[in-house]
Formats: sequence, structure tokens, C-alpha cells
Amino acid sequence: MAADLFSLLVQSGNSLGAHSAAMSVAGNNVANANTPGYARQIANFAANPGVSSLGAGSVGTGVSLVNITQARDQFVERQMPNALAAQSRSQTESDALSALTALNPDLEGGLPNAMGVFYSSLQTWSQNPGDPALRQNVMGSTQALVTSFNQTGSAIASARTGLDASITGKINEINAAAKSLADINRQIEIAKSAGGQPNDLLDQRQTAIDTLATLTGATPYTDAGGDVSMALPGGTALVVNGNAGTFSAVPDPSNSGLLKLQLNRADGSPPTDWDGTTLGGTMGGLFAARDGALKTAADSVDALAFNMATALNTIQQNGYDVNSAPGVALFTLPATAVGAASQIRVNPALNPLELAAAGTAPAATGDNTNVLAMIGTQSAPLLSGANPAATMQTIVTAFGTSASQADALAAHDAAMATNLQNLRDATSGVSIDEEMVNLTKAQRAYEAVAKVISTANQMLDTLMSIAG
Amino acid sequence: MRVTNRMSFDQAQGQMMAARDRALQAQQQVTSGKRVDHPGDDPAAAGVMVSQGIAIQRLDTIDKTISSAQGEVQTADGAVQSVSTLLARAQQLAVQLGSDTYSAAERSAGAQEINSISSQIVQLMNTQVAGRYIFGGTKDSAPPFDASGNYQGDGNVRQIEIAPGLLQASSIRADVAMKGAGGGIDVFGALSAVSSALANNDGAGVRGAIAGLDKSTDQISAALTSTGGILSAFESAQQVGSVAKESAQKVLSAQSEADVFEATSNLTMAQQSLQAALAVTAQSFSVTLLNYLK
Repeated sequence: MAADLFSLLVQSGNSLGAHSAAMSVAGNNVANANTPGYARQIANFAANPGVSSLGAGSVGTGVSLVNITQARDQFVERQMPNALAAQSRSQTESDALSALTALNPDLEGGLPNAMGVFYSSLQTWSQNPGDPALRQNVMGSTQALVTSFNQTGSAIASARTGLDASITGKINEINAAAKSLADINRQIEIAKSAGGQPNDLLDQRQTAIDTLATLTGATPYTDAGGDVSMALPGGTALVVNGNAGTFSAVPDPSNSGLLKLQLNRADGSPPTDWDGTTLGGTMGGLFAARDGALKTAADSVDALAFNMATALNTIQQNGYDVNSAPGVALFTLPATAVGAASQIRVNPALNPLELAAAGTAPAATGDNTNVLAMIGTQSAPLLSGANPAATMQTIVTAFGTSASQADALAAHDAAMATNLQNLRDATSGVSIDEEMVNLTKAQRAYEAVAKVISTANQMLDTLMSIAG
Repeated sequence: MRVTNRMSFDQAQGQMMAARDRALQAQQQVTSGKRVDHPGDDPAAAGVMVSQGIAIQRLDTIDKTISSAQGEVQTADGAVQSVSTLLARAQQLAVQLGSDTYSAAERSAGAQEINSISSQIVQLMNTQVAGRYIFGGTKDSAPPFDASGNYQGDGNVRQIEIAPGLLQASSIRADVAMKGAGGGIDVFGALSAVSSALANNDGAGVRGAIAGLDKSTDQISAALTSTGGILSAFESAQQVGSVAKESAQKVLSAQSEADVFEATSNLTMAQQSLQAALAVTAQSFSVTLLNYLK
């Protein structure tokens, strides 16, 4: 077939289409410069095969748009979910721990402060045990100590229940993200069977994978059919092809009634209890904070309240009050240390005259031997093995260590994730400058092809006028 | 590396936030003067702050307790010293009136003075500090001596803590000092022996009773030694306590307080880096190909 003017017109028309498609791609890239998960698209052209012309070789027949692909770096994308999960887990834990101020060492009315004031009042009282004003002062500081235990206990407890509220919210997000990943898997299957690469669905899938990894620490794996499923840390599948598992939460009586997770698996098997601390991501961070450092702090403050109060009760009960009657308990406590910090109270039956200063009966007004024994509890080891001040020091240091570790880890993980994000953006991100160049390039090509058409047109005109 | 728009925006945002965070932290340190707020800021320092805070409070209270006990013991010391002076006067009277040159009338007047000395001693022994009888052992709510010098108190010694875990007597035993409990002499008995010998105009009896007054004086001197001992124990405990408190305070400040110069220079540095981050960000946003494409 000869290279004639008519076919030049036709092929130029096709080329115009290819170049305007390239402009659309550049325009779409610019429009999605800030869309999360969007991978820059590239219009791929190929020269049309030539036809042999007049026996002198082949003449090309223009350009056509082969396909529109995405710029993706599989190597980096593989690492993203883990990095996001780690960042989210440590950041969540760090945020949760740094939000608790009840153990701040300088807190006015905090536990260390109240303990110091309580023992000071005993010390002052010991010098003149018959003085009613000093007895009243001891009652006041005992109440302050109890209040401080109550406040510290309930601050830690409400930090933990507050995390439960986040857990409930995150469960919904996880279930939604898992379902959306399963749905996208199905849509991609349908789109692929219809032919072509569903770029936007692939972007959405990547976003769903990132979201799910951020929330749970799940890792993606691709099967032979191209479906991306996700497995929780430990290997149990959360999303399998087009099916998604769901999480739910029920109160756990063995953990102060706080929520525990249950997993309804993707294969539809009956729900099983799921240890939240094994998860990564936000959910893992919430559980790590709730059942890690915060639980340790709650338990050790409970133990301190229980042991200290028990030791003081025993001494008070071994002594004698102003009427030479054996002392009644200073504090009322629960039967075990569980919840002691929140439940400890000053014995409501106790009045200042019943504070047992005397070590022997009949009680002499100046007998302070029992007060000295009470003062002695601040130097004597409690059941936990250390004296009250040292125990308090250990509690604060242990909690601080967890908080600062989580904080350091959060900074480290954030740097890692940012670095990967940058690497991903370097490949997949949109550069406005670059797209402007692409746009201009397409525009110029379009203009040039249009010029070819108008030239061919003029040539045809010339030809027609000869024929006319 | 291929630089994309999101990258540069994200990075600018991250750097600005980090610079703001650093500036805020530095500002907090400068304004509060504290380098540890949350235990996570410095776990070890936070723990030390807790234990040192309690320790300082304890040393503080011990110091105050010693001071109030000191008042009592000083009063006791003064009372015992007065007793000693009165006994010296009694001794002087006994020696003087024991001489056979004195008449019955003069000796009878001497007997009255001895009786008055005896009742003055009872009064001194019933000294109160802030409503509290200090010579009755742990029975501090009633006068320890009745008018005839019988002891009503108990044989206990009051104790206070003068250093963490260290107890020290804060009273002397008046039954030992005045009534000779445990093998000593009854001071009131010795006085009344002199007084009755004088009343009976019995010169030899008076001279014989002087030995009892000598023993009483020795006994009172011993009591003075123990009040002096208590006072010096208090004093040294307060000195040791204040040194301990000072060093605890030093440890506490070293752990908890921000170094003002360091904090201020950190603040300046943080502010400068924030300023730089803002300037660079604004600059980089303005450079785009869009400005040149017409």
C-alpha cells in the first residue's frame, strides 16, 4: 500500500488521540499530587508498525498509546506495611504513656508528696503523743494519703479504660479496612477479567493494605492469582482474597473487666479470643500500653497501698488508744491487693483519740512507742521487699523507663517510615514540575501533529484543484 | 533522587513540627526551671526525685521534732540546775547550822527554809512545757510529784527519732534523779532528814544528815550530765541532719533542675532552627516551574 495523503490524515488523527491521552495522564497526575496512595501514572507510546512503500523500505504509520502504567517500586512497597505498623505501634504506646501525669515526680498532692506529709505528721506527733491537735493533724494527713492513693489509682485505671474506648473505635476501623481490602480484591479480579490494568483500584488496594498494616501490623502476601491477602503477626489470615475477618471486643473479667479481642476469621470459623498485645500497629500499641506499663504501674501502686496500709494497720492494732483500748485499723482495704489503691479508705470508725500511740496498756499520755513503730515502717521493707519510698521510686522509674523507651522507639520508627515514604514518593510521587514538562511536551507534539494534518490538507487541496 | 512535591511538603512539615517541638520543650525548661516533668523525660532522675523528695521531707520533720524536744529538755535542764542550786543552799544551811553555836530558834528558821526548798523543788519537778509535765516519764498529763515529794509518774523514758531509724531519749528519769530509784537516794528524804534534825535542834543529827545532801547533789549532777548529753546528741543530730539534707537537696537539684545557661542556649538554638526551617520552607515553596511557564 502506498503512503497516501488520506492515510496520513487518518494516522495523524490517531496520533492526536495518543498525545491528548498523554495530556490527560499528566493532568490526572497533577490533580492527584496530594492523593494518599496515588502512584504516578505513565502513558506509554509505541510507534505503529510501518508499511512497505514503493519497494524503498517501510514508512511508519504514527504513534499509538500502548498502555498507562503506574510507577511503583515493589521493593520499597514491600517494606512499607511493616514500617507503618511499627511506627504506629510505638507512637500509640508512647502517646498513651506520656498522657499519664499521675506519676510525675513533682506533682503537687501526688503520691510521693502525700507519703512524705503523712510520715511527717507521725514524726511531729511522736514528740507529743497526747496533743489532740497533733492527733487531728495525723488524721488529716492520713486522709490526704488515702485520697492521693485513690486519685493515683483511678488516674491509672481511667487511662486504661480510656484506651478501651480507642480500642473500640479502632476495631471499627480495622473491620472497615479489612472489608474494603476484600472488596477491592474482588473488584480487581473483575476488572482484570475484563482486560486492562485497573490502576486506580491498585492504588486503593495499596492504601487499604497500608491502613490495615498501620492498624494491626498485618503483613500482605500475594497469591498466584494476584490477590493480596493479609496475615496478622503470627500468621493467622485476616483477609483472604475476597473474604475478610472481623474483630470484636468483650469485657475480660480476669483483667479488671477491660476489653479483650475476639477474632472472627475470614474462613467463617467460630470466634476465638485474640491476645491484643501480639498485634502490631495502633491496636498493638494500645494493648501494649494498657496491659504493659500501665498495668504494671496499676498493680504496683495497688501493692504499695495494700502492703503499706497492712503494715500500718498491724502496728495500730498492736497499740493502745487514749482509753487504753487496743487500736482499731487505720485503713479499710479490699481482701487482696487488686484495686487496693482505688478502694483504700480511712477507717470510718476511727476518731483521733483512737489513734494508738501507746505500746502498752494502761496507756500513758506521753507513751509514743507505737508511733515510733509506725514511723519505723518508712525504713522497713514492705512485703514487696523495699521500703515505701524506695518502692515509690521503683514504680516511677519503671514507668518512666517504659515511657521513654516507647518514645525513643517512636522517634526511630517514625524516621524509618519517613525514609521509606520518601523512597516510595521518589518513585511513585507526583512532581508538578515534571508533569508540567510532560504536559508541555504533549502539547507541542499535539501542535506538531495538527500541523501535519493541516499540511496534508493543503496538499490535498492542491491535488483537488488540479483535478478540478 | 527524584524529588516530588509531596516529599518536599511532607519533609518541610515534619521538620517544622520537629523544630517547633524542640523550641517548646526548651521554652518549658527555661520557664519552669525543671528538666524532668514526666517520668519518661528521665526515668532514673524521676525516681531519684521521688526518693530524695521524701528523704528531704523526713529530715526536715526530724529537725523540727528535735527542735521541739530540745525546748523541753532545755527547760528540764534549767529546772534540774535550779534544783542543784537549791540543794547547794540546803547544804550550806546544814553545814552552817550544824555548828553548835546556833540557837534552837535559828535552827528552826533554817528548818523552815529547808522545807521551802523542798517544796520549791517539787514545783520545779512539776514544770510544764505547753501543758505537758516533763518529769513524769510517759505520764505527762498529771503532776509527777505531790506536795510531799511522792513520785506519781512512771519509770519510762520518752524517745524520739533523731535520724532516720535512730532513737534518742528525750527525757530524764525523775524517779531516778529525785527518788533514787534503782539504788540511789531520795532527795526529798535527805532534805526532810535535815529539816527534822534542825527542827529538833539536833546538831549532831544535822551534821549526820549532810552526807545525804552530798549524795543528793551527786545524783542531781548525774541528772544534769544526762540532760546535757541529750542536748548535745540533739545538736549533733541536727548538724548531721542538715548536712544530709543539704546533700539530698544537691542530688535532687542536680537531677531535677534544668541548667539555666544550657536551657537558655538550647532555647536560642531551637528558635534559630525553627526560624531557619520556616524560611527555607517558604523559599522552597516559591520555586516552581509554574512561575516560568507562560
